[in-house]
Amino acid sequence: MSEHHITPLKTYLAVAGTLFFLTVVTVWVSYFDFGSFNIVIAMGVATLKASIVALFFMHLLWDDKKNLTMFVMSLMFLGIFITVTLLDTGFRGGVNSEVESPINNRAAFYDSLPLTDTHGHPVDEHSADHHGEGEDHH
Amino acid sequence: MAENQKQNYLTHPKGIMSWLLTLDHKRIGLMYLFGGIAFFFLGGVLALGMRLELAAPGNDFVSNDTYNNMYTLHGAIMIFLFIIPAIPGALGNILLPLMLGAKDVAFPRLNLASFYIYTVGALFVMYTIISGGVDTGWTFYTPYSTTSTSNVIPMTMGIFVIGFSSILTGLNFIATIHKMRIPGLTWYKLPLFVWALYGTSLVQITATPVIAITMVLLILERLLGIGIFDPALGGDPVLYQHFFWFYSHPAVYIMILPAFGIISEIIPVHSRKKVWGYKFIAFSTLSIAFIGFLVWGHHMFTSGQSVFSQIVFSFITYFVGIPTGVKIFSWMLTMYKGQVSFTPPMLYALSFLFLFTIGGLTGIFLGAVALDIHLHDTYFVVAHFHYVMQGGTIIAFLGGLHHWWPKSMGTMYNQTVANICCLGVFLGFNGTFFPQFLLGLRGMPRRYATYDQQYAELHNYSSFWSGILGLSIFISIMNLLWSLRKNNKLDPGTNPWGGMTLEWTHTTSPPHPHNFEEEPVLEHGPYDYDKVIVEPTFKK
Ligand code: HEM
Ligand SMILES: [Cu+2]
Repeated sequence: MSEHHITPLKTYLAVAGTLFFLTVVTVWVSYFDFGSFNIVIAMGVATLKASIVALFFMHLLWDDKKNLTMFVMSLMFLGIFITVTLLDTGFRGGVNSEVESPINNRAAFYDSLPLTDTHGHPVDEHSADHHGEGEDHH
Repeated sequence: MAENQKQNYLTHPKGIMSWLLTLDHKRIGLMYLFGGIAFFFLGGVLALGMRLELAAPGNDFVSNDTYNNMYTLHGAIMIFLFIIPAIPGALGNILLPLMLGAKDVAFPRLNLASFYIYTVGALFVMYTIISGGVDTGWTFYTPYSTTSTSNVIPMTMGIFVIGFSSILTGLNFIATIHKMRIPGLTWYKLPLFVWALYGTSLVQITATPVIAITMVLLILERLLGIGIFDPALGGDPVLYQHFFWFYSHPAVYIMILPAFGIISEIIPVHSRKKVWGYKFIAFSTLSIAFIGFLVWGHHMFTSGQSVFSQIVFSFITYFVGIPTGVKIFSWMLTMYKGQVSFTPPMLYALSFLFLFTIGGLTGIFLGAVALDIHLHDTYFVVAHFHYVMQGGTIIAFLGGLHHWWPKSMGTMYNQTVANICCLGVFLGFNGTFFPQFLLGLRGMPRRYATYDQQYAELHNYSSFWSGILGLSIFISIMNLLWSLRKNNKLDPGTNPWGGMTLEWTHTTSPPHPHNFEEEPVLEHGPYDYDKVIVEPTFKK
């Protein structure tokens, strides 16, 4: 195991300064509207700050690299949990695709064809309406 | 020296306090063992009670409400109080330091703390039982669990607490494996049981916090009405299932990986042959542990999750089959042309191979989304998970118990009785659970006390064989305990199976309180049966 690292005060102050600066950045960007990127930018700055804290204040930069690996792994598992769960919640509508976009038995393509009954025999316009599925207009 | 050798951890030091406050990993392991077996017994009695009710179609013995309580408690006790803690807590604790040539685990006090945290969790569960039980099933799905009037909170609190015991044990084992090996014991010279414990521990520390959070969220919703899972409050009930299975699918690997480790020890020793594909077995453990984190949605194929995630989960689930298959083939090739002896541990290992393969393969069937929509929540699933958990984990546990009993207790049980019991377990198990595959295929749903007449014959058959199964397990445990009678001690130098790992070659049976008289020197690899001859010795 590597011997204990002693961080000079200067580094701590520099890190603290950076953190303050990034806080100012967070506040500053909040005055602009980037649309759906608002959250990405805010989280990006926050992640950068958290990484600096972990690396310098929590000494992960100088510690045995196994500690860093463990830390990154735990973030990775959190990432897996959240992203894969979003694959569900973000795509839920797919379950009922028939409801969202019902099958259209009068699709544009069919308009170019002569009307037929279920056996393929041509029928006249008038009686065809009664073959429509569950259209309750009479 | 002779005086010193007579000392062993069972008799030295003496007194009840020396047990309750012990820091010795072997004593802590034994306390876990007896605690676990007590819960195994309790869970088993509940199971036999359910089979009695199911022997005939109507409500013959218990009401529907009682039945709901019975299967919930059976599942929760077996999983959270027995299977998950038993192998790492009992066999892992006893063996890990011995296998590494260490005096103890890395953090002995933390180890004792884990045991007591487990005890506190168990008390919560006991309180739940006495105060009226729970009826939601071991999975505590919302909205049942947020609306049920039964004792959901003490039960989930118990599981929350036990989780910490699991995390601390995992942490302790990882530190022990990294730091406590004797010089020369490199990663590829570790016994495969140690690799298995390593994989298990990684899953324990990465997955268990999620069940803890899940239980807390559930309790918060019940107590304070915070909307997490209830749509009326802005929550999402399917989210509960994501949380629960993100832990509980990896948890099935917490249950099975140590069992794989036991089998990897038993087979080479009792076949007197070097293990085939050491690295394959070691790395398949780690890849199972990893893939296990990506498949949880296969428990949710009918829950209304998005079609897209169903496809992804179904696809990834198939990959679990690869490392699992690698292990099965490696074990079979280890036996090939070996001198296989039909000792009790080996019979259990052979049963394991047979039963676990059925369990694993039916898991792949269930992973196919189209098929699972038919089979979900039927007895097919019940049969699948009993084939892996009982046919796999518990059979391996019994095998391991028989394998290391002479080592940890210094006595030998009656091997003929043990063999007959093993046969009884094998037959009883198949008789009980194979018909359940058929029941499930024919549409019998799980978690009902009554059923349609058409299922009566298979249910009746299953109930009959469950009696044989219960009896065989009971006698085999009694057979082990009976060996502890007076004047039945083995010679401390006994190595009854001719094992090659440090716990067999360098410690007495039972081991010295400090494990080794002096730090052992590694002379050969764990399974070098092709290079070194270690004869089985068996002396009274
Ligand atoms: C070979 C790899 C395995 C695969 C592909 C697999 C697959 C599955 C699938 C798809 C289900 C869900 C079925 C449903 O509810 O409709 C399931 C259920 C289950 N499996 Fe497995 N499984 C495997 C191994 C294991 C192992 C090793 C264990 C435990 C030691 C296990 C324990 C369980 C349990 C407890 C359930 C039921 C949970 C419940 O709903 O109560 N499985 N398995
Ligand atoms: Cu699963």
